[in-house]
Amino acid sequence: MPEPLLKAEGIVKVYPDGTVALRGVDFDIRPGEIQGLLGENGAGKTTLTKIISGLLPPTLGRILLGGEPVRLRSPKEALARGIGMVHQHFALVDDFTVLENIALGTGRPADRALRASVAELMERTGLRVPLDAPVENLAVGERQRVEILKVLSRAVRILILDEPTSVLTPVETDELFGFLRRLKGEGVGIVFITHKLREVLEITDRVTVLRRGEVVGEVLTRETSAEELARMMVGAELRPRGRRPVELLTDIPRERREAVRTGVEPVLVVEDLRVPAEGGGEAVKGISFELYPGEILGIAGVEGNGQTELVEAICGLRGGRGSARLRGREILGLPPLELYRLGLAHIPEDRWKYGLILSFTVAENSILGRQRSPRFLGPLTVLRWGEVFAHARELIARFSIQAPGLEAPAKSLSGGNQQKLIVGRELSKEPDVVIAAQPTRGLDIGAAEYIRDLLLGLRDEGKAILLVSADLDEVLELSDRVAFMYEGTFTAVTTPAELDRERAGLYMGGMRG
Amino acid sequence: MTLGYFWSILFLSLHAMVPITLTAAGEVVGERAGLFNIGLEGILLLSAFTGALGAEAGGWPLGLLVGIGTGAVVGLFFGLVNAYWKGNQLITGVGINLFALGFVAFGLQALGTPGFHDVPRDVRLPAIQTPVGGLSPIVLLALVVPFAIHWFLNRTRAGLWVRAVGENPEAADVAGVPVELVRLLATTFGAALAGLAGAYMAISWMGSVTKEMAAGRGFIALATVVFSGLRPILTLAGGFIFGFFDSLATWIANIPGVKEAVPWQFVSTIPYIATLLVVTGVIGRVRFPKALGVPYRRE
Ligand SMILES: Nc1ncnc2c1ncn2[C@@H]1O[C@H](COP(=O)(O)OP(=O)(O)OP(=O)(O)O)[C@@H](O)[C@H]1O
Ligand SMILES: [Mg+2]
Repeated sequence: MPEPLLKAEGIVKVYPDGTVALRGVDFDIRPGEIQGLLGENGAGKTTLTKIISGLLPPTLGRILLGGEPVRLRSPKEALARGIGMVHQHFALVDDFTVLENIALGTGRPADRALRASVAELMERTGLRVPLDAPVENLAVGERQRVEILKVLSRAVRILILDEPTSVLTPVETDELFGFLRRLKGEGVGIVFITHKLREVLEITDRVTVLRRGEVVGEVLTRETSAEELARMMVGAELRPRGRRPVELLTDIPRERREAVRTGVEPVLVVEDLRVPAEGGGEAVKGISFELYPGEILGIAGVEGNGQTELVEAICGLRGGRGSARLRGREILGLPPLELYRLGLAHIPEDRWKYGLILSFTVAENSILGRQRSPRFLGPLTVLRWGEVFAHARELIARFSIQAPGLEAPAKSLSGGNQQKLIVGRELSKEPDVVIAAQPTRGLDIGAAEYIRDLLLGLRDEGKAILLVSADLDEVLELSDRVAFMYEGTFTAVTTPAELDRERAGLYMGGMRG
Repeated sequence: MTLGYFWSILFLSLHAMVPITLTAAGEVVGERAGLFNIGLEGILLLSAFTGALGAEAGGWPLGLLVGIGTGAVVGLFFGLVNAYWKGNQLITGVGINLFALGFVAFGLQALGTPGFHDVPRDVRLPAIQTPVGGLSPIVLLALVVPFAIHWFLNRTRAGLWVRAVGENPEAADVAGVPVELVRLLATTFGAALAGLAGAYMAISWMGSVTKEMAAGRGFIALATVVFSGLRPILTLAGGFIFGFFDSLATWIANIPGVKEAVPWQFVSTIPYIATLLVVTGVIGRVRFPKALGVPYRRE
């Protein structure tokens, strides 16, 4: 076995607020190997990799590079030693163009030479983005590609990817994997974090599993199985797949739901919706659909084909033309608060931009959008903190959100736990219509399963759900009807039963059904 | 009003523009990097005083250097406290203003010229002679600096770094940009330009030092930065508007008849009110760096 490129020994991390995120972790990265790092939300994966990439100092423990102990005081020092990381939450400057962001990462000026080499890199990796678009106008999936390109455009010996595939399409993921295999062939040591076991089994050579800040297992990929990995992640008490939230357990058979729908008025009617694209032209080019109570309408498609704009226009975050009527009432242009009053909940794809106020506490975030509801607002507009805390505690218990405390800032939650907080908050608004964009993004298997069951449960109760997801399997599994979106229009609207993956791929690629 | 008046007001306006434009253009760099320095007023005053002393000791070149140096030292202090030690930018800035006021009052007293300290003609910065009158070379500099800063911010790698640390310090950090250092240097540069502006007032434009001489120009510069939407070239406009009304007010105050009827204190409020009106009236959708005024901490 070759000497490890990097060895981390006895890493302990205690955050300033006292949260112990890592309890003595040993970890090594070997050349020419892709190592999977697995663990539930909040297990400490991001913390560990941030330490290795110089962003956080370890509380205890040391890091050896090529056998030599080193102190990595900043990402700059780590990068200088060839350690690059793609962060779970995008580290991009919003109002810079893609090229400028990449320039920042390479330390080169944003000139023609850089443009040429990035174009070539895009060719090799299969990750394509418009270089001159400001990053803030890009969909989440496109931003993810920028992040990856940014790191790959530096010469790295160690590459850490924190959930890079959570918003990539299967095709993009495949292309990325191809590229990672080539890097591996060149002797680069790669750490790959994901919640998708299928990906782990496909791409990694070795898997390390973290649980509550400790390494609970290390196995060779070819000697393990999805079941074993799942067992290691959650510990002995493996939750049965498809555990349904008790309070929502209903067993309305599919046929009955169909029957319910016939003769039922749609709750949301969208007609010829057009949304301008940021750089001119239209991102959504005249889309019409109806959303019925008791159904999940899935929208599949490669990210960046107008899904973001479609959702944001309906949810009052972006201007659009045409019409969208909620129970007969025109809602285009209404502010989000008004939409919430009308019974519409929105789980945004960009959890940092629209989902949370990172510096606010968990409790404060748990009532965002509902701060004026009589339950939380007392006389003289003083918040009823008792109620707020009770509500936050409820969410934490129901969605098993791991938080350092009710008064901890939202940014101290792990990525997946932030997502659970948003989903929990939105669903607790008891909406009639849920617009869910990438609701399970970044959730561990158990949590994702829980959210999916919750959505199914809501549907069975007669709510209407619009589900936008880059995860084709998820869309096909949950939806009653699926629409495929390509360059601002629907190429096909059909039912999952009539589909196979291949056909779905064709619709996503622009073929009309 | 004859054409002659027009030219001389234009000329005076250009001179009165310099301190505002230089200070504001420098502050644009600091604010783009995320630091908000409310102590500019104090820097103007301090460097006017030290600049005058420098000139008296070693001629105008030393005067200018000392002025710039004073600004840089204060900027360095401001940057250390706020970029490195995550201090409170507002409090540090106010502290600088209060310190400058006390220090200069004390210094003038110690020199035996508490009310008005004249800078001898032979150590002042020589003017370029034109048909309308003497033109300070710093005016020409002030006309160029905003363009140079614009180019720097938008065309150079260092400029990219400055904008990145102001917009998203975490992203910059992750990309290997030394956030604290870039912020320190940017604010120091901005303060050094304010220092040049102060020295200009003492040894070129006014030729004297009084403890009231900054006269709110540091704050007008801050307003100009806001109005410019952090675009350096627009600080020329903000500076010129102030300079114009400043000169106009001086002219009005000296019209025979007006001089007796209206107290000059009243007339001298014109440039401030006019500038603030224009500046606030014109502000459209200004976009500020997201991390402006926010200290950067990793965890
Ligand atoms: N800045 C912070 N301050 C305090 N606690 C934090 C901070 N960042 C993370 N934590 C805590 O440290 C623990 C590990 O978090 P980490 O982000 O490493 O999890 P993760 O394994 O990456 O999870 P996910 O899959 O959800 O991304 C969590 O309990 C989290 O709440
Ligand atoms: Mg994480």
